[in-house]
Amino acid sequence: MPKLFIDNREVEVDKDATILDAAGKLGIEIPTMCFLKDYKPSTSCMICVVKVNGLDNLVPACGTVVKDGMRVESSSDQVRQARKAALELLLSDHVGDCLGPCQVICPARMNIPLMIRQIAAGKFREAIATVKKDIALPAVLGRICPKPCEKGCRRAVFDEAVSIGLLKRYVADLDLQSSNPYLPSCKPTQDKRVAIVGAGPAGLAASYYLQQAGFRCTVFDDHEKPGGMLRYAVPKEHLPIEVLNKEIALIEKLGMRFKGQTRIGTDLLMEDLRKDFDAVFVAVGQRRKASPSGLKPGEAESMGIEASPNGITVNGKTYQTNLTGVFAGGDAVHKRRLTVRAVADGKEAAVSINQYLSGSSVTGPVKEFNTRIGKLMDGEIEKFLACADKAERTSPSGKDGGFTDRQARKEAVRCLHCDCRKADTCKLRQYARDYGARPTRYKGERRLFTQQLQSPTNCHLGKDSSLPEVQTGGSGSIGAGDIIYEAGKCIDCGLCIQTAAAAGEELGLTFVGRGFDVRVAVPFDRSIAQALKHSADQCVNACPTGALAFRISL
Amino acid sequence: MDELDLTFVDQAVEKIGTGPEKVLELLQAVQEHFRYLPNEALERVCELTQISPASIAGVSTFYSQFRHRPAGRHIIRVCIGTACHVKGGGQVYDAFKRQLGIGEEEDTDPQKLFTVEKVACLGCCMLAPVIQIQGQAIQIDSITYGHLSSEQVPVVLRDFLEQQKASALQADKPESLREIMDLGEIRICLCSSCVAGGSGKVYKALRKAVKETGVRAVVKSVGCSGMSYLVPLVEVVLADGTSFRYARIQPADARAIVLRHFKPKQIGRKIKNAVSTMLDKILTDKAWEPVTRYSIDVRDRPMAGFLDKQLHIATENYGDIDPIDLDEYVRNDGFEALQRCLSQMGPKEVITEIERSGLRGRGGAGYSTYLKWSAVSDSRSKKKYVICNGDEGDPGAFMDRMLMESYPYRIIEGITIAAYSVGADEGYLYIRAEYPLAIRRMSQAIDNAAQRGFLGDDIVKSGFSLRLKIIAGAGAFVCGEETALIASIEGRRGMPRLRPPYPVESGLWGKPTLINNVETYAVVPWIIRNGPEAFARLGTSSSKGTKVFALAGKVARGGLIEVPMGVSIHQIIEDIGGGIAGDLRLKAVQVGGPSGGCVPAELAHIPVDFEALNDVGAMMGSGGIVALDETDCMVDIARYFLDFTQNQSCGKCTFCRIGTRRMLDILERLCNGQGKKTDIEELEHLAQMVQKTSLCGLGKTAPNPVLSTIKYFRDEYEAHIEKRCPAGKCTALITYSITDDCIGCSLCAQRCPADAIEMKPYEKHEIDPEKCIRCGTCKSVCQSNAIKVQ
Repeated sequence: MPKLFIDNREVEVDKDATILDAAGKLGIEIPTMCFLKDYKPSTSCMICVVKVNGLDNLVPACGTVVKDGMRVESSSDQVRQARKAALELLLSDHVGDCLGPCQVICPARMNIPLMIRQIAAGKFREAIATVKKDIALPAVLGRICPKPCEKGCRRAVFDEAVSIGLLKRYVADLDLQSSNPYLPSCKPTQDKRVAIVGAGPAGLAASYYLQQAGFRCTVFDDHEKPGGMLRYAVPKEHLPIEVLNKEIALIEKLGMRFKGQTRIGTDLLMEDLRKDFDAVFVAVGQRRKASPSGLKPGEAESMGIEASPNGITVNGKTYQTNLTGVFAGGDAVHKRRLTVRAVADGKEAAVSINQYLSGSSVTGPVKEFNTRIGKLMDGEIEKFLACADKAERTSPSGKDGGFTDRQARKEAVRCLHCDCRKADTCKLRQYARDYGARPTRYKGERRLFTQQLQSPTNCHLGKDSSLPEVQTGGSGSIGAGDIIYEAGKCIDCGLCIQTAAAAGEELGLTFVGRGFDVRVAVPFDRSIAQALKHSADQCVNACPTGALAFRISL
Repeated sequence: MDELDLTFVDQAVEKIGTGPEKVLELLQAVQEHFRYLPNEALERVCELTQISPASIAGVSTFYSQFRHRPAGRHIIRVCIGTACHVKGGGQVYDAFKRQLGIGEEEDTDPQKLFTVEKVACLGCCMLAPVIQIQGQAIQIDSITYGHLSSEQVPVVLRDFLEQQKASALQADKPESLREIMDLGEIRICLCSSCVAGGSGKVYKALRKAVKETGVRAVVKSVGCSGMSYLVPLVEVVLADGTSFRYARIQPADARAIVLRHFKPKQIGRKIKNAVSTMLDKILTDKAWEPVTRYSIDVRDRPMAGFLDKQLHIATENYGDIDPIDLDEYVRNDGFEALQRCLSQMGPKEVITEIERSGLRGRGGAGYSTYLKWSAVSDSRSKKKYVICNGDEGDPGAFMDRMLMESYPYRIIEGITIAAYSVGADEGYLYIRAEYPLAIRRMSQAIDNAAQRGFLGDDIVKSGFSLRLKIIAGAGAFVCGEETALIASIEGRRGMPRLRPPYPVESGLWGKPTLINNVETYAVVPWIIRNGPEAFARLGTSSSKGTKVFALAGKVARGGLIEVPMGVSIHQIIEDIGGGIAGDLRLKAVQVGGPSGGCVPAELAHIPVDFEALNDVGAMMGSGGIVALDETDCMVDIARYFLDFTQNQSCGKCTFCRIGTRRMLDILERLCNGQGKKTDIEELEHLAQMVQKTSLCGLGKTAPNPVLSTIKYFRDEYEAHIEKRCPAGKCTALITYSITDDCIGCSLCAQRCPADAIEMKPYEKHEIDPEKCIRCGTCKSVCQSNAIKVQ
């Protein structure tokens, strides 16, 4: 049995074993995309390359059989550089958005497409959980947000954006009206306390997420009641006070304590807060005509916090101020006056505060890796529409201008599902993040967006009787069997081709073309449904990216 | 649409077979019949054979030869090989499309008469730019036109259509040479590039002249002398052995040549001849000059220069013997080496001879030939294969074509000796589709050799057997890579795989397989006959023997040459090639095609040697040498090769598939004047990544043209970033203008295809830069050299 060294560790393996097998035996993880166990190595993606001493070139670990005495480097600089380059090249030829453009543009980065699909599927409990993962006050924002998300909505290229704001409000209202509104689960309470200065949207959001993480929050505000400018500056006809009260009550239910009529700097000193609490989050807003309680010029400095005429100076990623353990966010930091930005600040600062209190290094929230298609080319919007209802934007007729149940679901099926169906499992995305690959490193003309549905007639997610009849076609009802192929996300690994061939598909899949134009396709321009009669699920599972995916991803 | 008649498909399957490996052959048959691949026909093939839909769809879209949409009646194939590229092949391509009114995305004119395609290399580099127009019977009435320019396009189209009408004339068969051996011979090469240069018409004219005059001489097709720059070249050899050569002959000269050297049989005829010659003189309305004007002598300086430095091993007997005449081959020591091996030497002894000769593979990388043979020989497998790699795809290289067309028996002999020494009883010659004549001659030679017992069962009663089969490639450069070539023979897409295992362990159908290049096999008989020491005495310490090169580009004398290793590039260009044509200077020499690099003129003293070439960033490759002069842009050359390799990449591994495309993107940006400051570094970075991490030789060597030009001509790259093309080649960066030398002849205005020049007789003309498409027509027609390119 040959013995070899990987990263200077000796290992003995069978004579037919590959470097990848040997590394596995040592517990050394080598990334793979085009290789799966029990498949024939296609040695195409080159993400698994390693350096073998004595060889000029890097070799793919998945297909290189070991030799006695071999010395392998599995993560040297050269190796990591090559892997990063492979990823950047693949990304340069990738047509797809990991996250929907709406989500990317949303300051809170809420998973809007998922919420919409949950509404369409009637899964309202899941929908509110999705919303509240990123937005602590959705019923409030559903009424007053200027909805940047809708400016990003790709549907507008065809007709009008999906009514994201109203859909969010619909979910939030439904939840508030229910007998047991959604409460996130909280981690066991820890012996650490956070002082939050200011009970506006940023402060409330921070405490909502810090309570969930197990920290006890006390929110100080010079007003009598929490809500900040939402309560005292926004006109009632835009935001009924009971909606605000209800959403704040839900945060208080998690354990948040509110101390009104307490102004820091006069009633209580910053030094005291820093002494009595383990961390402080300053979210006092800015002094404006409508909100006289905000940060006055010079006020931050008097507390020892560095500031500029724009507001408190913080680290843009972590929300840390110059004082250890003191964080700041919301309008106190910038003059954006966007409530959704303030809510996002609260959420993100909570991540940093959590890191700080847990003793780990404070890096702030991880920015999710994303690739984007960007501006559409002629004819592409039609491809996107293949998966959506073509009806025009729904006008709300419900109470206070909200959606009725029927309208919400009708509107939801207008969503084009721009986000990737396998964003969470895509290996390309995972490794791109791990290796710090930049999707825009190499620029070139991009391919056209295409998508093929296994059963193009089964497109409607909703089951409202007023919607066009859902056709189930020959291949069965809507369900796990429906798959979608997006050639722009394919990395030409060939795993689906192998899978289909092994499953004895009559038609199957094949590579077509040569060079840069190689693509996976169905012979004779037939449909994916004809190609994959009984191995569709296996193919989706084998596909390392979002190229082959189940059409419905909830 | 009418339903397609698929009877042909049924017949083709009946004839060719139903195995999965028959896919290429069946596709070729279907395409030849329908002129493209209709889906219905492909589906029918799947119904009738073991070929799966996935296989047929995959294979038929991999090779450039196959079309999936109907073609026009005639296909115009515009060569964009290296030599044609530097001599304006791209502009000729544009001119054809313009002339025929073919849109950007289209390739066929609205009347469906002509389809215009680019072809990697027609292997007629000295006639550059070259195009080939296929008649209706694809391989028979195709006509090749050389030395073209944009403004000749309408003439070519007219000429072709006229020729088509008149093409009832069939090429007549050569007479048997045996009965007239004591006669004089009129020798002419009919290899594809000589025919492209007009030798076919001269051959017919000579035969007609011999027949009509009744002289005792025979017109004979011979192996190519390689002197492409003198084509059509005729050699007259009298019965006493004295010989006379005539260069650049026209069909009209045939009769005069015949009569100059041979006496007609009867007096009566003589008079008749005199009369008819006189009549000809009157009829052709041409001032008669004696035919000796074309006569050249080997002792003449230019020809002596071309031949002096050469040494003919692979091309032994060049210009003397009929390629297909087995008797003549045998009379000239043919098959002697094989007989000696079979009767006097054991397989191991043969390998020892090869070891002592120091022979290294001529396919490019220069791997030791005996090591390869030993590895296959040592394998205990009962079944082994030999393969001859004739998939010469490098643009600018045509050595293998010439060898296969001129010396088919020598190649067969070499393969058979190799097969004997490694213990293989079955072999394949994989020949690229663009070489129909090579395929025809090799097939005929295989048949003839088998009939005479030099192939097949029990060869020359030795008990050793070998069956040889020809596989025609279908247009994929990557199939020159051995694992891709094997995949192609097995009926798959020509995608290389990771090595090891090497083919010597696991090759065709998983069996040990010996793969060598055409030229490697071609020198084997000489080594056996003359002894390995004679071979090893030639060349340098690490590179022995001779190497055949295709010399083309801007040299005065180009063609096929064979030189001892160790000769300098300078000697090849200056002594053999006669230096750069015209009064321009040598700038660089591109050696080794897309895998090779550009050697700058300052380094031309380096010897032809595997290692020496690698050291300067070039590569022996398969042996194309293209001389470049001051008007050649090095960034454009790099772009040209990258365009080729990225198009020819099999598309498997990330670095080759996407990496070469991204390199091309940068080079195109540079050539279009959209380069960025960081582009050179980015290009170098990417080039190194592609070099180190690609799976096969194509990707590993694809960056060479880029890296070598950056290394030696970095200033040109920098100039392109500043939106300048010093050589005046990149159309986006140059302008055409007319100087005061203009005499107002208005030729440019008449010929300008874009109407960018207003006709102003007797006045200085002007070019509208907005309308100008920078095709160069004005420059080529201007009589007073008044067109300036900046």
